[in-house]
Amino acid sequence: MALLKTPPPHGGNLVDRVVRNPDRAKKMADGCVTFDIKPTMLDGVPIRNVYREIMSICYGFFSPVDGSMVRNEVEKVLEERRLLSEWVFPYPLVFDISEEDYKNLGVGEGDRLLLKLKGQPFAVLDIDEVYKIDPVDIATRTFGTPERNPEVVKVPFDKKHPGYMIYRSMHPVILAGKYTIINEPKFREPFDKFWFPPAKCREVFKEKGWRTAIAHQTRNVPHVGHEALMKNAAYTGDVEPCRGILVNAIIGAKRRGDYPDEAILEGHSAVNRFGYIKPERHMVTFTLWDMRYGNPIESLLHGIIRQNMGCTHHMFGRDHAAVGEYYDMYATQILWTKGIPSFGFEAPPNEVDYGLKIIPQNMAEFWYCPKCQEMVYSETCGHVDMKQKLSGSFIRGMVAEGIFPPNIIMRPEVYKAIVKWWKVYGYPFVNPKYLEEKDKNLEVDLPPMEISKA
Amino acid sequence: MVHYIGLILDDIRLEQIKGTGLEDKLNTLFGGQIKQLVIEVPEEVSKKILAEFPNARIDSRSFLEDLPVAFKRALFKEVVDKKSLGVEVVDAVFGKIDEIKELAAKESEYIPPPDIDTSEI
Ligand SMILES: [Zn+2]
Repeated sequence: MALLKTPPPHGGNLVDRVVRNPDRAKKMADGCVTFDIKPTMLDGVPIRNVYREIMSICYGFFSPVDGSMVRNEVEKVLEERRLLSEWVFPYPLVFDISEEDYKNLGVGEGDRLLLKLKGQPFAVLDIDEVYKIDPVDIATRTFGTPERNPEVVKVPFDKKHPGYMIYRSMHPVILAGKYTIINEPKFREPFDKFWFPPAKCREVFKEKGWRTAIAHQTRNVPHVGHEALMKNAAYTGDVEPCRGILVNAIIGAKRRGDYPDEAILEGHSAVNRFGYIKPERHMVTFTLWDMRYGNPIESLLHGIIRQNMGCTHHMFGRDHAAVGEYYDMYATQILWTKGIPSFGFEAPPNEVDYGLKIIPQNMAEFWYCPKCQEMVYSETCGHVDMKQKLSGSFIRGMVAEGIFPPNIIMRPEVYKAIVKWWKVYGYPFVNPKYLEEKDKNLEVDLPPMEISKA
Repeated sequence: MVHYIGLILDDIRLEQIKGTGLEDKLNTLFGGQIKQLVIEVPEEVSKKILAEFPNARIDSRSFLEDLPVAFKRALFKEVVDKKSLGVEVVDAVFGKIDEIKELAAKESEYIPPPDIDTSEI
């Protein structure tokens, strides 16, 4: 068989829209109308910050997308999950503002808008088109309906779905056009250790000799079941198992009860630092994105991000990036096994024209079998009636009670990563204090930058 | 239908049940690495518990999960005091339900972190 190698970026080239020369950056922004980026709010709680999309676009995670989409592109994404260039893409990505802000700004097509973050210049948006959206319509069509997408959508999306509410809570005026970062944000500890934009990540793969690598999606602190999944899924590959396991955490708006992002990253990192999977074979990274919980739709974005980072394979589990029971629990695996025609996929996303080049590895789950006396794969072990599941709520209960989890459930160093951030926030999970600080501080600081007024 | 509450025992709790006779009633999971005491709860009692603590739920194994830590601590104390896993320990906890609910409300904002060294992380 032909040996696999690192796939090309989605769309052919990695987007890099970051100006690193300060003089050039200053010139680009001098005299522009400015706008302070505001989070998307729901009932007084921030549920999205568009700065994360701007970062992921400009650093190439979402290649080939290079800005806020024009109206025709949003329509094509919603109808076919394709960009105007025909490349597969799952979500509308737009820069939305209120009617009032639009009036006050007084900008239009052909203008350049300077976007500020935390009081400092951050990026510019070159406006190609201004148009209006109906947020309810966008939200509904983004995720699908039981009538239009009967293969996998079981019930209509509603106010309990966080991703649906992100789109529903958007402002009606869209400024479309390319983004350019002119003042590179600096990641705060511990995010700085895990920031590997696609171009950088591909360099590291080359250094490590990772011809093949399998991606693991996470927004959780890893327990031993996750570790077993990573180790075993990596046995796929070509003539040998995958050489690398890339953990890519989705970092963005949080919900109460989640583990803090810092604990998620350092928990995963502990898996390799303490040798449960050696660092030569395992690395931890993240992508900024306010998770939309779009199950099969979200899996397309995950595939694109990790292909751009250089992975050959991607693990997909049951209820991938899911919340509630809106989608069939196997929706993602159905998409990557035979396609979902109503979402624009007559075949799996890696078998259609302008599709992805990453190879799916659909996985079931791991649990403990007392008869085999080991962590077993649910589809392999025959002692199903004896299964002992590592349920998230069981482990959370143990953590909340301050009980040190045994090694077979969670590695001691992973637990210590939880406790380290528990000491900082006074809580092992996301609490109101965490949400407040996250909203204020985000993941980055911006260096001061002087821009001349018009 | 009967529901269950599992009380997981770490070394400190194992020490506390020494000599109570409860050692013989330990239930083990994960190759003996988890030891727990299981209390059977009649449905009407579990309904009462669910009514008091809106975050609590019954999982696929019929165990009550996501109970406040304060509730579980109080329950363990009653188990040790009464040397029993009978439903009377749950009744005793209900005797102090207001106090527990007050503690539970506080723990949705703050839980003291365990005193362990995390400098290697
Ligand atoms: Zn078995």
